[in-house]
Amino acid sequence: MLQNHKLKPTVPRKAPNNSGDEIMVTKDFTAKAPSRRSVLQGMGAGLLASTALPAVAWAQGAPIKLGFQLHATGIGASYGRWYQRTADAAVKVINEGGGIGGRTVELIYEDDATDPARGAEVVDKFVNQHGCEVVLGTLFSHVVIGSAPRAGELRVPYLVCSEGYHVASGMLNRWTLQPGITDVRSQIASMAPWVAANLGKKVAMIFPDFAFGHDHRDFFTAAMTALGGEVVAQIAVPPTETSFTRYFPQIPADTEVLYHVMVGPGVLTFVKELGEFYGTAAKPKMFGFIDSLEAVDIASPGLEFLEGTHFWEAHNRMKPADAGEHEAAYRAAVGVDDKGASVSDPADVATYSHMFSAWETLFAIKAGMEACDYTGPADRQKFVEAMEAMSEMPYGIARPQGAKRFNGKTHQAFGTQNISQVQGGKLVRVHQTSMEDGAYPDQVDYTTQAF
Amino acid sequence: MRIGAAVLAAGLLLASAAFACALPPSVILTLPTGQFILAAAVTVALTAMLGAATGSLPVMQARMLWQAPDRLAGTALSYLGFLLFLGLLGIGFLGAEDPMHNLLPLVFWTGVWVALPLASLIFGNLWRVLNPWYGPVRMARLLIGRTGKAGLARWQQWPAVLGLLGFSWFQSVSVAPSDPGGLAWLALGYWAVIFGLAVAEGEDWLQQGEFLSVFFAMIASIAPFWRQRSGGTVRTFIGWPGTQVLAMPPLSRSGAAFLTLALAALTFDGLSETFWWMGLLGQNPLEFAGRSAVIVPNTAGLLGVWGLTALVIRAVLRASTLAAGPVMLAFLAIAAGYHAAHNLVLLLTTGQYTLAALNDPLFRGDAWLGLAPFYVSFGFLSNPAAVTAIYAAQFVAILAAHLLAVVLALRLAGPAGIRAHLPLTGMMVAYTVLGLWLLSTARGA
Repeated sequence: MLQNHKLKPTVPRKAPNNSGDEIMVTKDFTAKAPSRRSVLQGMGAGLLASTALPAVAWAQGAPIKLGFQLHATGIGASYGRWYQRTADAAVKVINEGGGIGGRTVELIYEDDATDPARGAEVVDKFVNQHGCEVVLGTLFSHVVIGSAPRAGELRVPYLVCSEGYHVASGMLNRWTLQPGITDVRSQIASMAPWVAANLGKKVAMIFPDFAFGHDHRDFFTAAMTALGGEVVAQIAVPPTETSFTRYFPQIPADTEVLYHVMVGPGVLTFVKELGEFYGTAAKPKMFGFIDSLEAVDIASPGLEFLEGTHFWEAHNRMKPADAGEHEAAYRAAVGVDDKGASVSDPADVATYSHMFSAWETLFAIKAGMEACDYTGPADRQKFVEAMEAMSEMPYGIARPQGAKRFNGKTHQAFGTQNISQVQGGKLVRVHQTSMEDGAYPDQVDYTTQAF
Repeated sequence: MRIGAAVLAAGLLLASAAFACALPPSVILTLPTGQFILAAAVTVALTAMLGAATGSLPVMQARMLWQAPDRLAGTALSYLGFLLFLGLLGIGFLGAEDPMHNLLPLVFWTGVWVALPLASLIFGNLWRVLNPWYGPVRMARLLIGRTGKAGLARWQQWPAVLGLLGFSWFQSVSVAPSDPGGLAWLALGYWAVIFGLAVAEGEDWLQQGEFLSVFFAMIASIAPFWRQRSGGTVRTFIGWPGTQVLAMPPLSRSGAAFLTLALAALTFDGLSETFWWMGLLGQNPLEFAGRSAVIVPNTAGLLGVWGLTALVIRAVLRASTLAAGPVMLAFLAIAAGYHAAHNLVLLLTTGQYTLAALNDPLFRGDAWLGLAPFYVSFGFLSNPAAVTAIYAAQFVAILAAHLLAVVLALRLAGPAGIRAHLPLTGMMVAYTVLGLWLLSTARGA
């Protein structure tokens, strides 16, 4: 963990941010992502660098405290580690660019143990103990669902990174928003047009038999059917299963596409057994969600069977040849190489397709606070209203995954998705969806709800 | 209408609890761990049978390496331990809320609970000299001029059993055992209670009534190096692991309770994360609802595993017609070996955070340990070769512990014949299989 003042001098340059201002971005992001503390303590050096441009406001006044609900322990810990690394990097960039409205940003992390009850407690601590202005960063749906009511009671903005459909479905409340990642309903639906046009229209789905798998089953089946395709089998596998061979005979012989979204410890076994099941015989085209193999090297022994198959990715783990201009800076800031692994360990693959949401949410908070001239807790309602007023969120360093459109009524951001093919043990982007591919009618208008 | 709305809301809740890219895929599930387990079981069984049949057992004798005057009287390092404890408490209360960037939970869970026992497993009881009570208690008694006792000895080791039970619950059942503030309050409260009791009774009571002291003595009892203090002299010995155990008095009822609880707590800490246990509780391991949802069943599970462990060991020793008191000591080896195997991955993962925090305690870019800045990295967990090496190390620890337990049981029981050892051997084999299975089965947390 490197201290900022030990960095080589950086070359400041300007980049547009979402609120129309200019934020400072330093060219040399190669330093390792610091901890929250080093961000704070190195801040002086960052600001010193920024004096090169007088237009940048000096951070003044007390820091703006943001509470990050972190899955540091529990089943979300493997994601939490990368979310923290990404959030630290984002705050470093934000602070080097003058912070939020001229005030430096301080991230306070609390471990929610990936537990809904603890999540609600942590929201309380952020507000009543740490004096945080907003709470953000939650990934796991059950923690979001457990925490959002408390955020509503405390009237504190709660910006989640869970990609769950619970925000846009209308299940939560006016204080809960998801500006940093497209929800799973839109992600799934947006895959159907390309799958139908390129892989086939007779799809067999194999998925874990609980909410996550059911979302895929329901949203993909609906989207495929609307396109004239057919889901010929829906094979639900109990979540406690660790061997899968006996489910494969249920795949109909005329299946053109096998849609798979197995997750958890058994995934490597699933791929291995599926490879053994088909052997050298003809197999259907395969399409999956990278959730199955997030943070796993696609070139790992045992995954050879996936060669040539396709995956959804929100954010391409392997840097595409035509990646956007901010992709390199984002990777460098977080400490990730062009293959999506930690710069310090090629085997340590990032949760790349999800963790950008922590970054983008922090920049969305910056935009929202600056739009409403946020000064303190009394402006929390103004902040939510400012977020609701957002619509187009252009591509930039604030949104390295891609441009998004924020729906103020449903409190949900919608962006483009990617389809990658495994080619020579690498994930190569072959298609990018349009935002319209994943559009669906609004299910709620939070703006009509009282605060 | 209302019911309909409630059903719809519940349906929405279920359909929306959708994020599940939870647990990383597990390499261990693709390894031939069943063959490892079978090999270990056969090895333990054959060793026990051959040992019982032939009576040919390793000679275990202690050899004194050196002796020296006990100038520090065992207190100086305890003051250092006390200062470290105060420092860690301060960090726990005032430092980062994030447990991976706070030295109190990091040092406690990976240092005191894992690294120090591992070191004590080899170099003898290091807690004995480092514990944060011994020196302060002695000083307090000097200052207030107290020399008497309060009669706590009659409680034998039961206070330590209670301490270990509370600690095990905190570790395996409570919602956030790593929360720095919570851990700091608990540590302060526990320290104060023990301090008060030890001032009343005398610092030597710690070895009997304080659970960490009893635990470390247990772990260190199979160390190949150890020290003995007597008459102002410290003698350092070397001998095969387990040599010390042969010279120990039989376990009291409270000592046996402590040992069975230590075994059960380790077992349950592993068991409670398995798909098997979660399935039993009706929990989806891919979407585990969190510890707060299973506090009652997990509390029952911890107590149940303890009860079952104690009952089975007792029944087996009775059926074996072996003297329970001495033979029970053999299980010390299993507790020590299993502690090492069970916590190895924690040391390799969270231990990196500890190292980073010790190197840079103020998180401002320092290098107190001289280490260049580094990222915590868990890439090895998806590398088949590294995972195989880790499982092999755990396999060796579990197998060696059980083989040692077999040898100790044979030595402690004296000549008794194969038949007398059969039930105990069966249990050792079963415990070997259980230990290795817990380390290789699918886990949901």
